[in-house]
Amino acid sequence: MTAVIAVGGVLILVAVFKAMWRVAEPNQALLISGAKHRADGVEEGMGFRIVTGRGTFVIPGVQAVRKLSLDLNEADLAVDCVTAQGIPVHVKGVVIFKVGDDRVSIANAARRFLDQQQHMNTRVDNILAGHLRSIVGSLTVEEMIRDRERLTEQTRATSGHEMEKLGLTIDSLQIQEIDDPTGYIKALAAPHTAAVQRDARIAQAEAERVATEAEAEANARKAEAIRNANIQQAGYQAEVDNAQARSKMAGPLAEANARQEVVVQETKVAELEAYKREQQLQVDVRKPADAEAYKTVTIAQAQRESKVHEAEAAAKETELRAVADAMRVKAAAEAEAAATRARGLAQAEATRATGEAEAAAAQARGLAEAEAARALGLAEAESIKARAAALAENQEAVIAQQLAENWPAIVKAGAEAFAGVDHMVVLNGAEGVNDMLAKALTMGGTGLGLARNLLASMKQDGTAVEAGAEATDNHRAHQVPIG
Amino acid sequence: MVGLQGRVTGRIAPGLVGEVMVRVRGGAEAFMAYAADPGEEIAVGTIVVVMDYHAPRTVYVSAF
Repeated sequence: MTAVIAVGGVLILVAVFKAMWRVAEPNQALLISGAKHRADGVEEGMGFRIVTGRGTFVIPGVQAVRKLSLDLNEADLAVDCVTAQGIPVHVKGVVIFKVGDDRVSIANAARRFLDQQQHMNTRVDNILAGHLRSIVGSLTVEEMIRDRERLTEQTRATSGHEMEKLGLTIDSLQIQEIDDPTGYIKALAAPHTAAVQRDARIAQAEAERVATEAEAEANARKAEAIRNANIQQAGYQAEVDNAQARSKMAGPLAEANARQEVVVQETKVAELEAYKREQQLQVDVRKPADAEAYKTVTIAQAQRESKVHEAEAAAKETELRAVADAMRVKAAAEAEAAATRARGLAQAEATRATGEAEAAAAQARGLAEAEAARALGLAEAESIKARAAALAENQEAVIAQQLAENWPAIVKAGAEAFAGVDHMVVLNGAEGVNDMLAKALTMGGTGLGLARNLLASMKQDGTAVEAGAEATDNHRAHQVPIG
Repeated sequence: MVGLQGRVTGRIAPGLVGEVMVRVRGGAEAFMAYAADPGEEIAVGTIVVVMDYHAPRTVYVSAF
């Protein structure tokens, strides 16, 4: 029983101890209020006890125990502000803070936030937004981006003491994003970007150039190597070909040499044969021919000489004969000449005598004829004159007379028209013949009329025109019976 | 606090609020720091001695 009581008593002790013993975790501070504590912490003043990192007895119902978290807190900030250069920016940042670990800070914080630990962020946020604006206002954009030291310095300088009041410490203030509507940052970057791009392009171009050069060099080397190889190959090929050709030619060459020797020998044989044949011919043909020729020549010479002798003899004979003939002819000619001269002289004498006689006779005859002619002329002139006179008196009578004198000739002329006619067929019988003859004669008569006119015109010199005309009329009147 | 050594983590200079890390309470905490001798400049990384402590988070230091 006692054991049971003892166990019960222990259990009760444990339960009581469990109810009174409180432990502060590492990230917590226990704030115990309700009794006067002389222990560590704040002795006077507010009258509560701060316990961190260990356990402590609490009298339930008498003392109140509250916990304050010492954890990190984080507040997001987003403010529109202006930099030291007057450039408007929108800054987003984050601030990390906690309650300070010393008892003063814990006491300060506990008194301010103990019931509002959830709202701590909002409160701090509001405070720090203003601070951030002031921090940014004292920095340039470049400093904000690059100089972290300046940012923390400014953070401490601006907000450190205010945070002390709240029992908080700022572990870190980070600017996460700077929104720059004016494009300042971009412009800031532009020269560097351009330079970097330029350098990159230069580097790339340079690299390409080097690569291209190397490539070209390599290609050239390659081409050179290929060329050399080809040349060498060609050289070797040529040697091989040469050797092959030579070996290929060796057979034919030997053959040709052999054949050449054969031909030489054959040629010699042929030459010898030809020589032999020539000799044979000399013997067979030429010698007999020579002999024949010699014989012929000799015979011909003999004949020629005999003929020459014959001719010479004949010539001599002829010469002698000619001389004899000449002598004879000369003698004959001389005789003839003497005879002729004598005959000529005699004939000339006779002719001269005859001529002289004939001349005298002719002279006498001429004289007589001249006398007779003159007498005849005078008589004719007399008769013409008389006839002219008579014509002047009776022209028609004279003409008629002349016609009558010439009539036989006229009729003859008219008959000549029929001279060319072989056969003549006359249709009217005898009467027809008379008719035709009459017509032919009329044609002749017409000619007669013309003659008469001619004569009449000749007469007009000596006679009057009227007489001529009249004579013509008379003639016409007279002509009708004739026709 | 006074007499403890610390390391400057934020430059201490006139017109600025510096920062010093001091080993305290089994850990290391950052305190806002001023030079004990006004006008003194203390670069980051310098070991300093806490000359004066003003609760809750301010110390006055001088180079060790």
